[in-house]
Amino acid sequence: MRGFLSWWLRWVARWRRASGDAAVSTHATSDGMMATSHVAPGMGQAPMLDCESVMRHLWDYLDGELTPDRMVAIRAHVEMCTRCYPQYEFERSFLDAVATSAREHSALDGLRAKVTEVLVARGLQQE
Amino acid sequence: MIDEPKRERDRQFRTEALRWLPEVARFALSLTRDESDADDLVQETFLKAYEAWGTYTPGTECRGWLFTICRHTFYRRRHREERQVTCDDPELEALAAASVHASARHGGFEHLFSRFDLSDAIDQAIAALPEPFRDVVLLVDVNDQPYEAAAVTLGVPVGTVRSRLFRARRLLQEALIEHARDAGLVRPRLDADTAAREP
Repeated sequence: MRGFLSWWLRWVARWRRASGDAAVSTHATSDGMMATSHVAPGMGQAPMLDCESVMRHLWDYLDGELTPDRMVAIRAHVEMCTRCYPQYEFERSFLDAVATSAREHSALDGLRAKVTEVLVARGLQQE
Repeated sequence: MIDEPKRERDRQFRTEALRWLPEVARFALSLTRDESDADDLVQETFLKAYEAWGTYTPGTECRGWLFTICRHTFYRRRHREERQVTCDDPELEALAAASVHASARHGGFEHLFSRFDLSDAIDQAIAALPEPFRDVVLLVDVNDQPYEAAAVTLGVPVGTVRSRLFRARRLLQEALIEHARDAGLVRPRLDADTAAREP
């Protein structure tokens, strides 16, 4: 559960970054992805993509590196595609496992003190 | 006599740079894989950052700037040149992920990453990656850097970050599936013929 929460928070942060980027983009739709004219019920104007297009951009989607339009389009496809959803879950759980595998420094307070001491010796003024 | 500009500069350094010490320590530890070496690397990183603080633009991505200094310091210490890596099409690499997934499904490893704690195996698998692949995984997947920030840190185009990252993920997945198979974490599925012969 902690892992999923961690992944979700990272994903939301990246989604926000992507949204911010898109705000200054005037050609967000010229993405080179294959889109069909089918629009799924309840999915607004998000174009439905074919599986290969989704696979090509699945990592970018999981990293939150696409424009909001692309994110919505891929999410709409993945949520309904029995072929793509298992792979999405597989890759998402992989990224989550990698993100939470990092070793943390076991003595950060001591390290902070050492770094501060070295910096003060070099001239950093203390508060 | 109080030097006000210096006092302000030092205050900015403390609030903007030193706050990232835990993240820089984690990054240094992932590069050195040794806490004592990581300590030295972190100290040198912050010393260099302090001396170069005049070149930093306040309010910009300080964490990425520190990662860049940390990484350059690490490689300079080791006197190792970064190997050039053939840059494949990132989208082809992304498609290759589908074949890894298919292989995982076939072998019964589809839920490997969600059901088992693979932290140690992941740590070892990342360490075993060639440096350019390892660095991009550490920046993007472990330290949550966006592609663009990782590209700045590594001094390569964003497209290279994507292709290296996707290749690195495939290599990691293959290594972890191999590890799971060797460790007997998941019993491989029996194919239909074998299953039919089972009593």
